[in-house]
Amino acid sequence: MEPNKRAILEGRSITKHFGALAALRGIDFSLYEGEILGLIGPNGSGKTTLFNVITGIYPPTKGSVFFEQRNISGLKPHKICQMGIAKTSQIVQPFTRMTVAENVLVGAMYGGRISQREAWEKTYEVLEFVHLDKLMNVSSGNISVPDRRRLELARALATSAKVILLDENMAGLTPNEIEEALNLLRVIRDQGITLMVVEHIMRAVMGISDRMIVFDYGEKIAEGTPGEIAENPRVIEAYLGEKYA
Amino acid sequence: MIAQSIITGLLLGGIYAAYSAGFSLIFGVMGVVNIAHGELVMLGAFTSYWLYTLGHIDPFLSIPFSAVSLFILGYMIQRFIINRVVDAPPIMSYICTFGIHLIIANLALRFWTADYRSITTPYCGSNLECAGMVLPYARLATFGMAILMIGGLYFLLTKTDIGRAIQATAQDREMARLMGVKANHVYAITFGLGAAITGVSGSLVSTYFVIYPQMGLSYTVTAFCVVVLGGMGYIPGALLGGLILGVLESLTATFWDAGMSSALTFFVLFLMLIFRPAGIMGKGVVE
Amino acid sequence: MMQGQKSIFSLPGKSVFLVAGILLILAIFPAFHLSGYTLRLMSMIFMWIALASCWNVMSGYTGYIDFGPVVYFGIGAYSTALLMSRGGMPFFLSIVISGVVAVLFAIPVGLPTLRLRGAYFAIATFAFAEAMKQVALEWDRVVGVHFLEGSHGITLPIGPSHQFFYYTFLVIMTVLFLTSYLIERSRMGYALKAIHEAEDAAELSGVNTLKIKVSAYAISAFFTGIIGGVDAYWLTYITPNDVFSIHITIQMVIMCLLGGMGTLLGPVVGASFLTLVSEPLWAKFPYDYLIIIGVIIVVVIVAMPRGIVGTLMERKRRGGGT
Repeated sequence: MEPNKRAILEGRSITKHFGALAALRGIDFSLYEGEILGLIGPNGSGKTTLFNVITGIYPPTKGSVFFEQRNISGLKPHKICQMGIAKTSQIVQPFTRMTVAENVLVGAMYGGRISQREAWEKTYEVLEFVHLDKLMNVSSGNISVPDRRRLELARALATSAKVILLDENMAGLTPNEIEEALNLLRVIRDQGITLMVVEHIMRAVMGISDRMIVFDYGEKIAEGTPGEIAENPRVIEAYLGEKYA
Repeated sequence: MIAQSIITGLLLGGIYAAYSAGFSLIFGVMGVVNIAHGELVMLGAFTSYWLYTLGHIDPFLSIPFSAVSLFILGYMIQRFIINRVVDAPPIMSYICTFGIHLIIANLALRFWTADYRSITTPYCGSNLECAGMVLPYARLATFGMAILMIGGLYFLLTKTDIGRAIQATAQDREMARLMGVKANHVYAITFGLGAAITGVSGSLVSTYFVIYPQMGLSYTVTAFCVVVLGGMGYIPGALLGGLILGVLESLTATFWDAGMSSALTFFVLFLMLIFRPAGIMGKGVVE
Repeated sequence: MMQGQKSIFSLPGKSVFLVAGILLILAIFPAFHLSGYTLRLMSMIFMWIALASCWNVMSGYTGYIDFGPVVYFGIGAYSTALLMSRGGMPFFLSIVISGVVAVLFAIPVGLPTLRLRGAYFAIATFAFAEAMKQVALEWDRVVGVHFLEGSHGITLPIGPSHQFFYYTFLVIMTVLFLTSYLIERSRMGYALKAIHEAEDAAELSGVNTLKIKVSAYAISAFFTGIIGGVDAYWLTYITPNDVFSIHITIQMVIMCLLGGMGTLLGPVVGASFLTLVSEPLWAKFPYDYLIIIGVIIVVVIVAMPRGIVGTLMERKRRGGGT
């Protein structure tokens, strides 16, 4: 990325306390338009918390989040989604008793702020794009795990998001499914959507990221290309010998 | 005047705490809002009443009977009915316990008629007079018993094996469910325990409040308030909540208007839920 | 129309005719010189279908269990009573104003309480309803005025014939049915379902969950208030204990539950069934009536938690879809 390109999403000194627990301590990060940024770190290092702060689930205790140079800290999640940031959750939350299509429709209508008619068109587009169109009228509670993960992503895409945060969207997938998922992410990026990916599957996240950030105990301990990160002693230490998978 | 009002309120509050602790326990462990709660108080009170009227057993001595019979009843209700709705959406347990409330209250009405009853013991009129205040002995005794009971419950939950099993089940319902049969047994014991304490407080209450089959609902409502004030599922909080509510009601009745004291209770409850659902000490369970 | 899409007006053709046909029959029913008793019974069924539908619009669709809907019934009843007996206002104007008054209460109550989940929302709404009952009972005495009349109650002008109320309730019930139908098919319907299934995910997908919840709550309150007003005129005399009674809440909840929460026909089935069953039950077993109701409730919860209509729909959904 050119160093003088402006960041589409920026975190400045983001701090988040839960009572006495400091989940995030002064996090600074920049996400540049069109890139795929990988976020890794041991369990409990604050990755999901950061995503939750960005999307407005909780406000930061200190610091701020800027989206397209506007301060979005403290805005409600639905507003942030409408502005263009979407997220997939670690634990998928489909609207179980609604069909696959209806799930995506909600994202299109409300996240994208368009009419029901337009939203249906968008829904078909998105479902075809992620190859879920055959399951369109199936109840979302009845589909397989990889399909559910793709549904989460489809719903996020339907909101016309400019930035998508993926929180362990590949957990529980087989190596083949992971390859498919990675290819899909590349195509999404080629469409102009910026991605920030949290993953524990090292090979996947290293393979797809243009740049990476590493967290440990709520702090950013390293930043750089995947190659640089793989050789960073602090990172290796943080994982305590966890093997490069 | 104000001191008398406060002391009366505290004594009242102790008893509120006693019959609310069981409600808090059941919600904290199983997530069940037991709308039939007041009926457990009623049954405890009637147990004492009948033992007194037919057997001349003093209400304080009838406590073991209430405790045991209500434990059994609670255990059975949980085991055979509530168990089936513990994992269902919460509304199911509310409606289910509401159905149980209807059944118990109206069966009692059927068999015992709507007449108001009371227990008049030889000592019920005697008071301790000190510092210009009048403190009925019966109320002092029930206050003492209430504190003992709550303390006992707290001790049981924190220091004994069964207590720790109950707490563990409360903290991780998922894990408890995965453990299958054992969890059901723990739930049933918890419900029995909650029912037993509530039954005992019913016996205590019978010494100075009026007894009738429909009395349950207002006790259930007060228990809601106490437990929200103190924090759902937090037993020491039930004591705090009870005392606060008791004093609040007493002061309202003395200095403003007796009729408004229940309206006040509801507004306090409402405001607590909006501003501080976790209770005054913030230790309650908030879904 | 594309596959999978449900337009706001599409309905399997025959259903429209069926519903229209039933309404037509109901409309000409009274022409058959039916007894006052039958007309009153039918009116009651319509009223309870309407009330159960009100509860369904809020709690059935969102899953937020409201234990205080009677408060708006009471507010509506009192508004109508005061407007008609003191203000000399005509009936139809009074009930519409009563609906509006109910909404004016519902919005400030809904905004803070709809942030609460589960049991807390239920308890909060219940507490508010009971508090208002106390206010209605004690206001005059505490404030020193002659306004609500406390437990003395308020008397309304004598109302017209049974037929009048029959048609009034029929119209209200139909309007509510239509409203529920439109909501289900609209944008808001999808949002409500999403909130019910996974509220956090809905919020993250751009749904302003608080606004939608408060809207449903306000709509429900509006109609509940109107029904309270009509009932006040029907009964001609109201007291706080009657119109703020928890028994009204209970019936609304049970009927909706029995029929099937969150379904269009659930309230219709539940209210009809329970009203029709209650009448003979209450006549034959006046003392055991509530015990029997209690048993029915427990059995339904344990055996058929989705209600009659809900269970049928669930079977259909499980069967298809693969």
